[in-house]
Amino acid sequence: MRIPILKLHDCLLISIQWELDDQTALQFQEDLLQKIHDTSANGVVIDLTSIDFIDSFIAKVLGDVIEMSKLMGAKVVITGIQPAVAITLIELGIGLNNVLTALDLEKGLEKLQQELGE
Amino acid sequence: MTLNYIRSNRQAIFEEWVQRLKEQSDETVSNVILDQNFSTTSTELINLAILKISGSTEEYTTRLEDFSDKIVRLGWPLRFVVNTLDVFGDLVYEGMEKDGLVDSKNQVKVMHDINHWMKAMISEIINDYTSTWERTISNQKMALQELSAPLIPVFDGITVMPLVGTIDTDRAKQIMENLLQGAVKHRSEVVLIDITGVPVVDTMVAHHIIQAAGAVRLIGATCMIVGIRSEIAQTIVSLGIDLSRVITKNTLKSGVEAALEITNCKIVPLEVKK
Repeated sequence: MRIPILKLHDCLLISIQWELDDQTALQFQEDLLQKIHDTSANGVVIDLTSIDFIDSFIAKVLGDVIEMSKLMGAKVVITGIQPAVAITLIELGIGLNNVLTALDLEKGLEKLQQELGE
Repeated sequence: MTLNYIRSNRQAIFEEWVQRLKEQSDETVSNVILDQNFSTTSTELINLAILKISGSTEEYTTRLEDFSDKIVRLGWPLRFVVNTLDVFGDLVYEGMEKDGLVDSKNQVKVMHDINHWMKAMISEIINDYTSTWERTISNQKMALQELSAPLIPVFDGITVMPLVGTIDTDRAKQIMENLLQGAVKHRSEVVLIDITGVPVVDTMVAHHIIQAAGAVRLIGATCMIVGIRSEIAQTIVSLGIDLSRVITKNTLKSGVEAALEITNCKIVPLEVKK
């Protein structure tokens, strides 16, 4: 099943609703980059509110996607990381250090506007 | 036979027993003996022994539990309780010997019986004693855990977690969980960790704090470490710990000011009416 990517003005919205397997994650990577290319979006918000488990591969793919999106000129904000997921990521040593994060979608969009406005 | 002997000579045994305990006692034990509760409690102990020997198990069990609880509360050392029982056994045997109740034929049997009772009783008392201890310790541990990581919302979007005392791995885990869950629940934009009350910051504590800060950033809030005293700053630098990713302030006050700035708020004095 593919992950839907929604377009909102010059931003792309992605809400991941179920646990990703490796295949879906890679598919998502391709889809998102393609979509950025098609719409020339400036910003991307990935919402992880419904995800309460993440493994190192998915985390790596997410990191890669963010890096790739940056190369294509789109800023990425990750929102709604659950406490348990945050702990797992930190314990795996994945700090996502250069990634913008926000508490929820609303704050994420705000942050993105701020970043893009500057 | 032994039972009858104890019953009939109860008072004498008791007096002799206290006498002997006093003779061989050191300071802690004499404090116990001087305690006014001593005579009632030790009478209880003898009654218990009689109950045990006469074999009424049910009553004995409940009474023994009460008794163990009581001595733990009174703070009698376990060593002393075990010792008193030993002395009691010795006394009974010696008394019976003196009264000519022991001859070469039943000597072994009497000795064996007394040992048997005493052993059973001592092991039961030790059991009860330790389980009471364990209970106390686990209660204290729980109380400590409840106290260990409170998260206090102070303004809209600003929460403070004051840390007091040493941080070990268990506690660090709990701190992290409380911190993240609280930050999500209160929708915090800035979380301040106040380490004024943490006496020592070594590499491990610093590691935990850095991890917590990283996790807070992941959920979309900013983490700030406040209350860094001069000696802590010195240790952090000399240990080569890199805190450059985290905002640090020396007091909670300056931390709150910085947090207000981040959330675009400001505290202004009211205009005084004239």
